[in-house]
Amino acid sequence: MTGPTSEERAFWEEHGYLEFEHALAGDQLQRLQRAFKQAVTDCKPDWLEGIARGTAPAAHFDIPNPFQRDDVFIDIVDYPAWYPYLMDFADGELTILAPQVRTLPAQPISYVGWHGDVPQTNPLHMKVQIYVEDVPADGGAFAYVPGSHKPDAGPCPRPRLLDAMPGRKVFPGKAGDAILFNSYGWHTSMINTTSTARKSIILIYEKWSEGKVSPDRYASIADRLTTPARRRLFCLDTMHAA
Amino acid sequence: MAMIDAHVHVFASVSNEFPRQVSGNTPGEREATAEQLLETMAACGVEKAVLVQIGGEELEQHAYLRHCLKSYPDRFRGIGLVADLEHPEEQMDRLASDGGIIGFRLSSIGGERDPLAPMDVTSFDTYKIWKHAAEKDYVIWLYPPAAENHCVPFLIDAFPELTVVFNHMAYCPGEGSFSHDEMGRPHIDLPNPPVTRYNTLGLYQYPNVCVKLSGQYAFSKEPYPYPDLAGWHGALLRTFGADRLMWATDSPWILEEPGYENLTRVIDAQLPDLSEEQRALIMGGTARARLFSRG
Repeated sequence: MTGPTSEERAFWEEHGYLEFEHALAGDQLQRLQRAFKQAVTDCKPDWLEGIARGTAPAAHFDIPNPFQRDDVFIDIVDYPAWYPYLMDFADGELTILAPQVRTLPAQPISYVGWHGDVPQTNPLHMKVQIYVEDVPADGGAFAYVPGSHKPDAGPCPRPRLLDAMPGRKVFPGKAGDAILFNSYGWHTSMINTTSTARKSIILIYEKWSEGKVSPDRYASIADRLTTPARRRLFCLDTMHAA
Repeated sequence: MAMIDAHVHVFASVSNEFPRQVSGNTPGEREATAEQLLETMAACGVEKAVLVQIGGEELEQHAYLRHCLKSYPDRFRGIGLVADLEHPEEQMDRLASDGGIIGFRLSSIGGERDPLAPMDVTSFDTYKIWKHAAEKDYVIWLYPPAAENHCVPFLIDAFPELTVVFNHMAYCPGEGSFSHDEMGRPHIDLPNPPVTRYNTLGLYQYPNVCVKLSGQYAFSKEPYPYPDLAGWHGALLRTFGADRLMWATDSPWILEEPGYENLTRVIDAQLPDLSEEQRALIMGGTARARLFSRG
């Protein structure tokens, strides 16, 4: 596993994102696609019922408890294509906050406007967006404003139309591509005007801080977190030895 | 500043002159007349109101609404209902022909319930209503069920020139969420903020989509002034802006609790940091520009 080069680190610090083309490929990608498809099949009836009851959003379909559903969703958390970068940027103290195994229906509006996830006072907050299937630019692609992660970026503008955001960069991609971004920065999902739902996984990480993640959060999958590094990543073990 | 109440109901006791359906909170002998409403409004400094049809979708069941609109053309505008989804045009035009009825309320869409399925708006049950409303510049008064709310953006995208007013803070009732409280008022048990927001907040990009700030009593889990809804009111203000928000009371259901006068102050409690200009828009300016410029 290799971390960022000096050029990549400089790009990350300046722009707030890194792209990993073909980060997942071959058997590993197919394994992820199969698990994704199975989870959708298994969970869709409950999702539709939740929509009808007004307790689940129709605008995006997130698989509940994906870590408990298939080991592939655990394996991608410390996947070699991006994990060394996350560890480097977090000074070796990284926590996984949550996975979002997400299907995004095609519709004429985005489910979320331009936004940053956390204020600058929050510990470094990063996400990896992994495309499970090809995502064209008009297929609900992820978009980011390079440089908007910096403390002097100011408040996030709210243009009436998403594609009126100054400086935006849209990330169409192939299945297996991934984008790592600093989520202080402004980002959104562009409108999906195709007839195909976007399938992606968003892994949410943060630089470790005391008490942020309870050891109970991932206790149910403890038997599958067998290495010391994974146990720290999932907050089963303390980051700092007493 | 003259206030406009953008959503109230009036009805007469059942008679040959004013036939209507009856229900648990609208028994045949009950009445909530325009005169009673005007008296209450006057006492609270409210100048005008939008009367929303209750008591049936058939043309003849609109008799009392039409009577009120004809009697007080400077005080009221009306929102009608449509009985025949297959051929709605004639009823819509007949109801609107007097000038008082400016739009039509929909509480279903008749669209595809699976958000992952292909969406063809022309196959939606209410498509002809939307199309005719767009052609005639009628307002769509919208209270969609949660199961179909994801269909709405497709219709608005098909008819972006339409003025669409989401009812009751853009909450969308879910199956099993509706009941009546101990005072007989509608009560809808939904998460706060509503999860349907992911399909509604994005509609700010369409400049003719508005939201009515009403019905707090039915969606709040706390007593007046419903502090648990302040965050949602703030989100609607930040997203749509005051020139697309309209205050309303949903009278008569609120006359006993919390009382009409209290509801004239509910926006001040929900949005205490409004500028005078924003407050004036929400309390009447938006409705005046968007609704009372019609008819």
